[in-house]
Amino acid sequence: MKLTLMGNEAIAWGLIHSNTQMVSGYPGTPSSEILTTVQKIKDSKNLPVYAQWATNEKVGFEVAYAGAIAGVNAAATMKQVGLNVASDALMSASFIGNKGAFVLIVADDPGFNSSQTEQDSREFARFARIPVLDPATPAEAYEFTKLASEISKKFEIPVMLRSVMRVSHSREIVEIDDNFEFKEQKGNFQRDIPRWAAVPREGRLKQAYEQLERIEAIKKYNYENLIKSKIDKLKGTKNLIISSGAAYGYAKEVVDELNLDVDILKIDMPYPLPDELKELVKNYEKVLVVEETYPVIEEELRSENVFGRMSGHIHLVDEMNKERVLEAYKKIGFYEGENIYKPYFKVEDVNQRKPNLCPGCPHRDVFFAIKKVFRPKKSIYPSDIGCYTLGINLEAIDTVLCMGASVSMAHGLSIADKEKTVIATIGDSTFFHGGIPPLINAVYQKAKFILVILDNSTVAMTGRQTTPERENPQVDLKKVAEGCGAEVMEYFYKPDINETIEFFKKVKKRYQEIDKPLVVISRQYCVLDKERAKDFLPGIFATVDEEKCVACDVCTTQFVCPPMHYNERGKIEIDPLLCIGCGVCISGICPTDAFIPRREK
Amino acid sequence: MRYQIVIAGFGGQGVVFLVKVLSICASKRGYKFLGTENHGMSQRGGSVSSHIKIGDFHNPLIDFSQADLLIGLDKDEALLNLPYLKKDGKVVVNAESFPKIDAEVFAVDANALAEKGIFDAKGLNVFMLGITLAKIKDFPFSTQEVKEAIKEINPKFAAKNFEILDKAIEYAKNI
Ligand code: SF4
Ligand code: SF4
Repeated sequence: MKLTLMGNEAIAWGLIHSNTQMVSGYPGTPSSEILTTVQKIKDSKNLPVYAQWATNEKVGFEVAYAGAIAGVNAAATMKQVGLNVASDALMSASFIGNKGAFVLIVADDPGFNSSQTEQDSREFARFARIPVLDPATPAEAYEFTKLASEISKKFEIPVMLRSVMRVSHSREIVEIDDNFEFKEQKGNFQRDIPRWAAVPREGRLKQAYEQLERIEAIKKYNYENLIKSKIDKLKGTKNLIISSGAAYGYAKEVVDELNLDVDILKIDMPYPLPDELKELVKNYEKVLVVEETYPVIEEELRSENVFGRMSGHIHLVDEMNKERVLEAYKKIGFYEGENIYKPYFKVEDVNQRKPNLCPGCPHRDVFFAIKKVFRPKKSIYPSDIGCYTLGINLEAIDTVLCMGASVSMAHGLSIADKEKTVIATIGDSTFFHGGIPPLINAVYQKAKFILVILDNSTVAMTGRQTTPERENPQVDLKKVAEGCGAEVMEYFYKPDINETIEFFKKVKKRYQEIDKPLVVISRQYCVLDKERAKDFLPGIFATVDEEKCVACDVCTTQFVCPPMHYNERGKIEIDPLLCIGCGVCISGICPTDAFIPRREK
Repeated sequence: MRYQIVIAGFGGQGVVFLVKVLSICASKRGYKFLGTENHGMSQRGGSVSSHIKIGDFHNPLIDFSQADLLIGLDKDEALLNLPYLKKDGKVVVNAESFPKIDAEVFAVDANALAEKGIFDAKGLNVFMLGITLAKIKDFPFSTQEVKEAIKEINPKFAAKNFEILDKAIEYAKNI
C-alpha cells in the first residue's frame, strides 16, 4: 500500500509493522510526531499497544526498556538533546541488552532549527557501543525502523534509529506492508539476576567483554547484509564519496547534477563499520566523507586518503546544503566548474519576521507584568526551554540552558547576586520534566527566589502534546510544588493586563515576607489549543486610533504582539488576519490608549 | 519530469496544507516527490516556507537558483525566498505590487479581496493555488487533480475550498 507520509509517520508505521508493543518518549522537535502517530494508528486499529508520553526522556527510555527486558518489542522516542537526559540509562542498557526488540529513536536537528545545540546522536551510539541506522528519506525511515527492530532482537541489544529534521519532517510516498497483522506478545519477565541486576564488578566485567564481542558480530552483519552488495555495484572510478543518511541526498544530487565521474557509496549503518570498508578505501585515490553532523564515519575510517570535516574540506557547523557540498567537491578537486547553486535573485530589503510568541499568548502578559513589577535593573530572569523562551523578545529572559535549569540557575544566581530579585519562568511540562529535583534542592537549602510556572496544560511548542496534569488531574502542580516545601501562589489568568500586574504586586509583597522559594502557578491556556482556548478568549479584536498613537514604541518593543506594526504614516496598525481577539492590548498596554476595539463587519 | 516549488508565507496562512495538496497530487500521478517544511520557532505569525521537489530527487531541500515556481502567500516572505528561484522562473504572490525581476510575476492583492469579502481570508492559501492553476502554464497538475487532493485531506471543507478555487481561477482571467 502506498501512503504519502512524513518521515516521523513512516517511523511510526515501521514500529507498528515490527510488532512494537510499548512506545514511550518525551516530545521534542523534530521527533514528536512519531509517538503521536503511533497513538493514532493504535486507536484507529484498536491495537494492544502502550503509547504514552513520559515526564522526561530518561523516564520514557526506562519504561520502554523494561518492556524489552520482559520480552516485548519496545521503542523510545526523543530529540537529540533529550538523549543527553536519557544517556545514563542508555550506557547501562547497552551493557545489559534486551530480550524483545528495543529501538531507540532519536531525531537530530542539524542547523539548530529548534534546538539549543547541534549534536550528532551517532556519536552517542558509538559511545554506548550500539549499532545505529541512518535513514535518508521517509521511505527509508520506514524500512530502517523495521530493520532496527530485527537487529535489536537478533543481537539482544538496543539499536538506535537516528533521524534528522530533513527526514523526520519531510514527505514522500512510502510503500508500506499490506495486510499486516499485529501479533501481540505476552511479556514474561525471566528472572536472571546476574544479567538484569549485575553489580560491580564480576557480572559487569563479563558483560563488558560480551559487548565487545557483540559489536564485532554486528560489524560482520553490517558488511554482509548492508554494504557488500553496494560495494559490488561500484564502478571502480578514481575517487570515492562515502555518505550516510540525509547527507547522502545532497551528495548524490550534486554528483548527478554536475555529472561527476566518482563512485558514491551510501552507508546505512554508520556504526559499527566493518574492516572491509577500510580495505575498500585503499583502492581509491581520494575518499570524501559527506555526513551530518559530526565526523563519525570519517573518524572510523581515518587514513591519509580520507577527507571530510576533520581535514577541513567540509564545513564544521550548520545544516548541509548542495552549495556547501559543491564547495567541498571543488576543494578536494572532484569538480572545477562554476557554482550552479549561487542565487540569481538577491533577497530584497524586507522585514524578517522574528520568532515570537503567538498573538494572544498569555505568557506575553505574564512577562510584561513581571517586568513592570520587578524592574529589569533590579532583577534577574532565568528561564527555560519551551515556547515561552520567546519571551526573549520582551527582554524578560536572561538565561536559557537546558530543560529544568531555570530552577537550579535561579538558586545559583540568588546566592551569587544578592542585590537582585530572581524571578524564574518555566512551563508546566518542563517543570515536570526537570524542575522538581532542583526545586527540592532549593527548598532544603533555604534559597530565596520566585519561580513562575506558566501552566498552559500542554507541551505547546512541539505540537500540543498532553501533560501529566491534563491527562490525570491527580498530578496537581500546586500540590507537587507544595510537597517540595515551597510556598505557592496561584493565579487564574485573565486577558486584562491590569489584573495580571495587580497579582504580581501581591507576589512581590509576599516574597518580601517569606524566607523560602515562592512558586507562582499561573493557570493559562495555549491559543492553539482548540479544546480550551475558546473558554479564555473574549473575542475583543483590536484596531488603532491613529490620532492617539504617538509612535512611542511601547507596544512594539515591550509587548510585541505579532499583528502590531508601523504603517506608512508612522502609526501602529493591527493586521486583522493575525489578531486573535484577546483584547489585552486594549486593556492598558498603550500609554495613550491608542488601541480600541474593532467593530466587526 | 523535474519540478521544484517553494511556498512561502507565515504561520496561520496554511502553507503546510498546500504542501499536502501538492504531494497528494504527485502521488496520484505516480510521480516521485520529496517535500519539507521550514519554520521558525513560533507557530502563528512566524515565517514558514515549504519546499516540494517533484521527480527524481534524493533530498527535500531546494537550493538557490533551482525553483521553477515560487508561491508567496505574503509579499515579504516571497521576497525573502527569491534566492531559491531560478532565472526566468515564475512567481505567484499575494501583493499589491512586486518589483520587476527576470521572472514572470503574477501579483494579486488577495488580502484586499478578502477584506472586501470576495472570499474568506482563511482560504487565502487555496485562493493563491487557484491563481497558480490559472496562470502557470507548466504547473504539473490540473484543477481536477487539485480538487481531488483537497477532498481527500478534508471532505468536510471541500465544497467551500472548491468555491474559493473557482473564484480565483475566474478572477485570474482578468490579470
Ligand atoms: S504603545 Fe500606543 S502610542 Fe506607543 S506606538 Fe504603540 S499604539 Fe502607538
Ligand atoms: S487584541 Fe491586541 S494583544 Fe490581542 S491578539 Fe489582537 S493585537 Fe494582539
